[in-house]
Amino acid sequence: MQSYLLFRLYGPMAAWGDTAVGEFRPSHDHPTRTATLGLVAAALGIRRDQEETLLSLDRSINVAIRLDAPGEVLRDYHTTQVPPVQRKVIHYTRQDELNAGKLHTILSSRDYRCDCAATIALRCKKNRNFSLNEISEALAYPKLPLYLGRKSCPLSLPLAAIIIDANRLTEAFDQYPDPQSELDTLTHGLWGFGGLNKEKVTRLYWDSDETNLSPEMTYPRRDRLRSRRRWQFDERIEYMATQSATED
Amino acid sequence: MSKFIQLHLLTSYPPANLNRDDLGRPKTAMMGGANRLRVSSQSLKRAWRTSDIFRSALTDHLGVRTKEMGRDIYQQLLEKGVKDQAAFSYAQAIANVFGKLKTLSKKEKADADENKRQTELEIEQLAHFSPEEQQAITKLIDELANGDDAPSDEQLALLRKQHTAADIALFGRMLASSPAYNTEAAAQVAHAISVHKVAVEDDFFTAVDDLNSGEEDMGAAHMGETEFAAGLFYLYLCIDRELLIENLSNDSALADKTLAALIESAATIAPSGKQNSFASRARASYILCEKGNQQPRSLSVAFLKPIGGNDLLAQSIQNINETVKKMDQVYGACADRRCSLNAETGEGSLQDIIECISGD
Repeated sequence: MQSYLLFRLYGPMAAWGDTAVGEFRPSHDHPTRTATLGLVAAALGIRRDQEETLLSLDRSINVAIRLDAPGEVLRDYHTTQVPPVQRKVIHYTRQDELNAGKLHTILSSRDYRCDCAATIALRCKKNRNFSLNEISEALAYPKLPLYLGRKSCPLSLPLAAIIIDANRLTEAFDQYPDPQSELDTLTHGLWGFGGLNKEKVTRLYWDSDETNLSPEMTYPRRDRLRSRRRWQFDERIEYMATQSATED
Repeated sequence: MSKFIQLHLLTSYPPANLNRDDLGRPKTAMMGGANRLRVSSQSLKRAWRTSDIFRSALTDHLGVRTKEMGRDIYQQLLEKGVKDQAAFSYAQAIANVFGKLKTLSKKEKADADENKRQTELEIEQLAHFSPEEQQAITKLIDELANGDDAPSDEQLALLRKQHTAADIALFGRMLASSPAYNTEAAAQVAHAISVHKVAVEDDFFTAVDDLNSGEEDMGAAHMGETEFAAGLFYLYLCIDRELLIENLSNDSALADKTLAALIESAATIAPSGKQNSFASRARASYILCEKGNQQPRSLSVAFLKPIGGNDLLAQSIQNINETVKKMDQVYGACADRRCSLNAETGEGSLQDIIECISGD
C-alpha cells in the first residue's frame, strides 16, 4: 500500500510555463511538475529565496498528474510601458514611471489555458523532510496565495485535498471523489455533460518508475531543479499514458 | 487574524473597447466553452495604480494638488538664508520627487524674466501632496537651511516613502538586475471575465472632409473599423493581508489605508482604453467581501454556464450567492466573515466594505 495525496486544480485560466526565451511565453497543455510543486511550496510558505528547502521539496515528492480537461489555448498580447533606464533617476511608484516621458514598450505574447482542469497525486519518498499530512493541512490553510502558474490565475474551486491509500497510482486516482459530482452541483451540470472535457481520453503524467503502469511515451524534460537562484535545471524523464474516458 | 481578503465584484460596462489585442479588438477568453469578454489583470492594475484615487486614498483625501510646490520650496529656502543658486537646485531636486519637471529651451531661458525662470521648478502634471508629505518637505527644508549639502538620495526617498511602499507592497516588484529589491506582490488580481457569452461587434465608420465640395470626389476622407462589446464583468481579487503588512514593514495602519485605496479604485476606476470614443466609465454594481484563513478560491464557476435572460445583473448576484452557499455546503466554510454592497438595491456601502476589510 502507498499513501497518495490527491487534489484538484481548476480555474478558468491557467498557465503551465514551458521554456520561455524572450517575448514568447508559451504554456504546456497540462500542469507541469514544477508548477505543482510551486503551488505546494507556496502553501507551505516556502519563499522563492529558500533554495535549500525548495530543493528538498523537489527531492522529497513524486508528482503524478491526471489531465481531466486540457482546455484551449489563449494567446494574450501583452504590452508594458517602461521608462528608459537612467542612473540616479528613482521612480517611486508606477505612476511616476509612466510620467517619466520617452516611454518604451515591451511586447510579449503570453499563453494561457482556458477551461483547464487536472487532478494531482503526490507521493512522499521515504525518509524525507515533508509529510503528506503537513502538505494536506497547508493546502487547506495556505501560507501564501496560490495560483495556477501565473498570479493572475487564481483557483476557482477548493483544492479538496485528501490522502488515499492505494496499491497503485491509477487506483488512487479512481478513488478520488468523483470531481464531476461536486462540479455538477456548482456548475448546473455543465461539467458532467462533457462541456469542458472534449477529449475522449484522459492523459496521465508521472515522474518516476511506476511498476504497475506502462508508459506509452517517455520524453526528457529539463525542469529538475538544481538551483533556483541561478535558474539551473537538470534533465529528467517524464512518462505519459492515456486512459479512455469510459474506464474512469 | 484573517489572513486572506477576497473581493468579488460585478461591474457592467456599456459598449467599450477597454483592453485591446494586437489587432485592436477587445480581448476575450473562453470560459465554460463560451466566448467571453476579458479585461486583463495587468490592464486593471495599471488603471488603479495610476488613478488619483489610489494616490489620494492613501492620505485621507486631504492635501494639496499643485504643480507649483517647487516655487514654494524655493521661496522658503531663500527666506531661510540659502543662496539663490543652491535654493533653486534643491527645490528642483525636491519637486522632481513628485513628478517630472518642466524644462525651458535654451532660447526661452535666455529671454526669461524671473517668473519665467521659475517655470523650471514646476511639475508637468498636477501632483498630490499629502499632509505627511508637506511636513516631510518642511522638515527637509529646515535641514537643508542648517547645512551646506544638497539633499541626499536617502533624504529625497523619505519624502515618498509611504506611497512607494504601498504601491510595491500590493503589486510587487521584480528587478532581474538586483533581486535584493524584489517584493512578492500581496494582491492577486484575476482577469475580469464577462458573465455572459459575447460576440465582438464591428463599427464601420467614415469621416467626412468638411472642405471637400464634392465636385470631383464624393468619397469619405477616411474609413475605419472599431471593434467593441458590452459586458457585465466578474472580477476577483485576493489579498494576503499578512504578506501586505510584512511588505509594509509591519505598519498595519498603512496596510489598512492601502487596502482602502485598492478597494476604492477597484470599485470605481475603469481602464482608460478608448474612453474618449465610448465614455464607458462604470462603477461596481455588486461587491462581496470575504475574510478568512481558508484556501482562497474565486467564484467564477457561478458563471461557468453563461448567464442569459433579460436580467443579467440580478441573475449574476443570485448565482454568486448560491455558489457561495453551495461551496460552503460541499467543502465546509470557505470564509469566516462576509459583507456585501449592492448598488442595484441600494444595500450596503463602500465604507462598510472598507471597514470590513480593515483591521484583524
